[in-house]
Amino acid sequence: MTLVSFKLSKSSLKPLLLCMLALFSESAFAEDWTWHGFVSQGVIQARESNFVNNDGEVSARLSEVGLNSVYQIDSDLKLSGQLMYLNGGNRFVDGLRIDYLFLNWTPRNTLDWQLDLYAGRFKNMHWAYSSTRDVAMTRPLIVLPQSVYFDSFRDIAVGSDGLAVRSTHNLNIGELEFIWSWGSTPISRDMSSRVISVDVTGETDQKFVHQASSYWRPTDSQMQWGISLLDSDFSYKKSALDRYFDGDFTTQRVMLNWRYSAERWELTSELMQERVKVQGFLFPQLLRNQFAQGAFLLGRYDWSELTSWYLSYDYFIANKDNPSGSQLPLTSGGLIPSYFGYQRDAAISVDHELAENFRLKIEYHWIEGTGRLGPNVVPDVVVNRSPTHDIWALQLLYWF
Amino acid sequence: MPLYVQAQESPPAPKVIVNASVKVQQLSHAQLRSIYMMRQVLWPDGSAIKVFVLPNRSELHLQFCRQQLQLFPYQLDRVWQKLTYSGTGTPPTEVADSAKMRELVASTPGAIGYIETGNDISELQIVQIQP
Repeated sequence: MTLVSFKLSKSSLKPLLLCMLALFSESAFAEDWTWHGFVSQGVIQARESNFVNNDGEVSARLSEVGLNSVYQIDSDLKLSGQLMYLNGGNRFVDGLRIDYLFLNWTPRNTLDWQLDLYAGRFKNMHWAYSSTRDVAMTRPLIVLPQSVYFDSFRDIAVGSDGLAVRSTHNLNIGELEFIWSWGSTPISRDMSSRVISVDVTGETDQKFVHQASSYWRPTDSQMQWGISLLDSDFSYKKSALDRYFDGDFTTQRVMLNWRYSAERWELTSELMQERVKVQGFLFPQLLRNQFAQGAFLLGRYDWSELTSWYLSYDYFIANKDNPSGSQLPLTSGGLIPSYFGYQRDAAISVDHELAENFRLKIEYHWIEGTGRLGPNVVPDVVVNRSPTHDIWALQLLYWF
Repeated sequence: MPLYVQAQESPPAPKVIVNASVKVQQLSHAQLRSIYMMRQVLWPDGSAIKVFVLPNRSELHLQFCRQQLQLFPYQLDRVWQKLTYSGTGTPPTEVADSAKMRELVASTPGAIGYIETGNDISELQIVQIQP
């Protein structure tokens, strides 16, 4: 509940909320309302890591519940919102939240060109699974490849308060889509502690996040190609008794995306390079600029109408000039082991439809390295003492 | 298997039907795909498109997806789920069988659906799908 009240206190959402309440009171039973939702609950164990909890025990902190609605105000204007409850242990901030709440205006809707503008809090539409990464039945895996979908960064990467544009064209060469967005996300202390360091006491602010992406689906092809770009700046203001200093962070990401779809199987891959620049924070004169790289290849095979298998390999290095992480102990005075410089995750998963809109999913990950365990700036070397770790999870999903 | 053998064995493509109020007489595969991906929500005259589909496991739905949309049903499902749970759109209306599809398309202004070739098409319009 505290998360909701924190986010609502941000003035950018108030006009939209008031607007939504007014629409509710006048049209609660109108045909123009549509409602959907989902509930998923599971058990998960991440041994030898702080991925879910610090003791490595079996946990039920694998809950995702959402209720959304779309109200069609006019033929070219609609209001969409989703309320969501998440509990993922250390993975992200738990509690109730407004996942999205935006106005969607469609100024162009011809047979060969669709243009949509979004204002408010919207989901990140730029990556293969980003817009519904919390919606269990839309994900291929319970735990998505962390090189791209780093859970500690989930609350910041999942969406923004701002503006977005999507334009889709039917051309002779195929279907071309452009997406652009600009905005920011309010960052709570809890979120900062998962991204920066467990003991931050100051205030973190995302100044902006600017993203653009393009997808091409060639005519008469079952392939899709995409590219996405991200640029974001953050600042940290230390508190009165802080052990850290004021700091600035920049994240810039370039990502390529590819997918091939066949009748009973599919392959998806995303490759990314991410520049992370840190000025100050650990000490006032610090200037660190390094390029992380990551990629995953994920395959799905439909064993039958009811059962699908998934295999995934995910690769991440925190510094492309030092893929083994060997410099980390040297530059940290021996505090950070080399295995924090990389992460390699091999995963297998199976899901089975128990009934209509009711699914069981079981998954296992074997992981080398701890480079994608939070926090990111000051890693947790106390809990993450093992260079290898694993995760198993089981989840029941229902949606309507 | 040689392609010509596959072509001989393929059943005729399902016919795309629209309500009598719809002025459009032909669409390309890409345009039809835009409609069934719920991105194209208005007909050229500005009236709303109402999309009907058969259940995922229906053989006719599979044929329609493959031959007219040039997609597999799971790809459409993914698009609809993404729209539904990111707030950017709403899924189509699912109907139980072809008879219900025919009845609803005939009675709903702006409606679009599909039926087997050779079915009764009175009160309906057929839309030609161009490559």
